Amino acid sequence: MIHTIVYGFTIGAILYFIAIGLSLTFGMMRVINFAHTLTYTLGVYMLVSLGALFKGYFVIAAMIAVVVVIPISYLIERCIIRRLYGESLDHTFIATFAIALIGVDTIKWIWGVLPYPLSDPIGEYLTIGGLTLPIYRIVIVMIAILLFIGLEFFFRKSIVGKIVVAALEDRDGVGCLGIDVDHYFSIVFMMGSALAALGGVLYAPISSVHPYMGLSILLLCFAVVIVGGMGNLRGTFVSALALGMIMAVTARYWSQGAETMVFIVMAIVLIFRPIDI
Amino acid sequence: MSDLISTQDLTKRFDGLVAVNQVNFSLQEGQVAGIIGPNGSGKTTLFNLLSGFFPPSAGRITFCGKDITKIPPHKRVGMGMARTFQLVSVFDSLTVWENLVLSTIRFKRDQQSVQSFFFAPARKRIVVDDCLKSLELVGLEKKASARTSELSYGEKRMLEIAIGLSLKPRVLLLDEPLSGLSDHEIGGVLDLIHRVKKNFALVIIEHKISKIVSVVKKLSVMNEGKILCEGDPEQVLRDPAVRECYWGKEEENCST
Ligand SMILES: Nc1ncnc2c1ncn2[C@@H]1O[C@H](COP(=O)(O)OP(=O)(O)OP(=O)(O)O)[C@@H](O)[C@H]1O
Ligand SMILES: [Mg+2]
Repeated sequence: MIHTIVYGFTIGAILYFIAIGLSLTFGMMRVINFAHTLTYTLGVYMLVSLGALFKGYFVIAAMIAVVVVIPISYLIERCIIRRLYGESLDHTFIATFAIALIGVDTIKWIWGVLPYPLSDPIGEYLTIGGLTLPIYRIVIVMIAILLFIGLEFFFRKSIVGKIVVAALEDRDGVGCLGIDVDHYFSIVFMMGSALAALGGVLYAPISSVHPYMGLSILLLCFAVVIVGGMGNLRGTFVSALALGMIMAVTARYWSQGAETMVFIVMAIVLIFRPIDI
Repeated sequence: MSDLISTQDLTKRFDGLVAVNQVNFSLQEGQVAGIIGPNGSGKTTLFNLLSGFFPPSAGRITFCGKDITKIPPHKRVGMGMARTFQLVSVFDSLTVWENLVLSTIRFKRDQQSVQSFFFAPARKRIVVDDCLKSLELVGLEKKASARTSELSYGEKRMLEIAIGLSLKPRVLLLDEPLSGLSDHEIGGVLDLIHRVKKNFALVIIEHKISKIVSVVKKLSVMNEGKILCEGDPEQVLRDPAVRECYWGKEEENCST
């Protein structure tokens, strides 16, 4: 059972990394951003290439992979997402989904369709009281907790954080203070993209790497955002861990049902708390 | 004297409805103007056009001698146009103080010392005096660290005006600043308007004409998207067309 809990937290942590960006993009700009899969997957493929370059230095390869995604996400925001502000939700959905699909094909073109095997970069196990747990998974959970604390700090103490909190509540109101919301949003967008890439980079060694890996996890992350509340950062953290746990527990008894269960929970939440857009 | 704001044939259509119809509105530096008109006559829409919330369907807006028709809202604030909303708009998720500090962020670039990342030093350094002054002006200095969501509607209205003041505007657009307030609170807002009106121009939308008639130097009456009549308040209110469209309705309102 402890195993299941640690696995649940690992998945929850990964979902959290990816869901933050989605939640902020929706909360601030009312854009449903399917292109988020691209930054996630791209981070992973960068890791694949860089990992070959920096053999044995996983941390360095991972860090560079995350950093490389930032300018790419800047271009995506500048050239496409920015044009979608104020558009209807279905338009944002179609446009960003198109980016995601173009991204998948570009990845196939560069890296091919075959899955890449990546191995656990730590490979050590921790044994406590007869239980053996992979250290790597524990590290992932720790990073997620640190990130949560860091973000709480950022949103409570920094100027950009306060502007984002205000913009989540009322974007036009922030404009009325003479503040250029779009400018701050592009910072937030890059931050969210880098975190998605980080999630991908951390998850890749314990999952499988293929061009479509982003699409399936993105749907789970939308469920996280919906359950946690759009633009609600603490809610996103709690719902990511809770849904990760639900997946792990379900998988233990019914392995095919893990993802289905997430959407069942989401549907139940929507019945009791419909989203108002 | 040149106009601070002027609009040329400003028009806004929402699908078949012409909410603002070829309006030529002008305001001079330091002038206090009132806009009245029945519900749905286009007053708020005119404000939304002036502050840049909607692009106009036709016409132009000039502010401080510049054509600002295509300039985004936040830049208009930077040029000196501030506004409040018919339904009070302040940030409930922040404290009173944070609301005010956010309104001074646009001055950040003028002050080299405040290239800071953290909010706390910003509190100390960024024009902290100005924030305090605005708060004292509206009588909220004791509530500075309160959550905005804990304020009463009247206090939120005052905070909203304080935010407008700390933006250091050349013109402040107030959309029904007295609506939803008690008589006592209305007295407070009017008193405040009297105290600050020497610093900048004001445009006040209001339903209760009697309340603002003593403050405004110029009154415009809107009806069905057009300015029906404008000029000296006393004279405007004597105009037969105004009496018909406005007082007629008001009497109805009173009798119901
Ligand atoms: N965003 C919008 N989309 C469609 N129609 C709108 C929009 N905003 C305003 N209208 C319409 O434009 C007309 C003018 O509305 P506006 O809010 O400007 O009136 P008002 O004079 O401020 O009225 P009130 O005294 O009730 O505040 C109304 O018929 C309104 O329904
Ligand atoms: Mg109105």
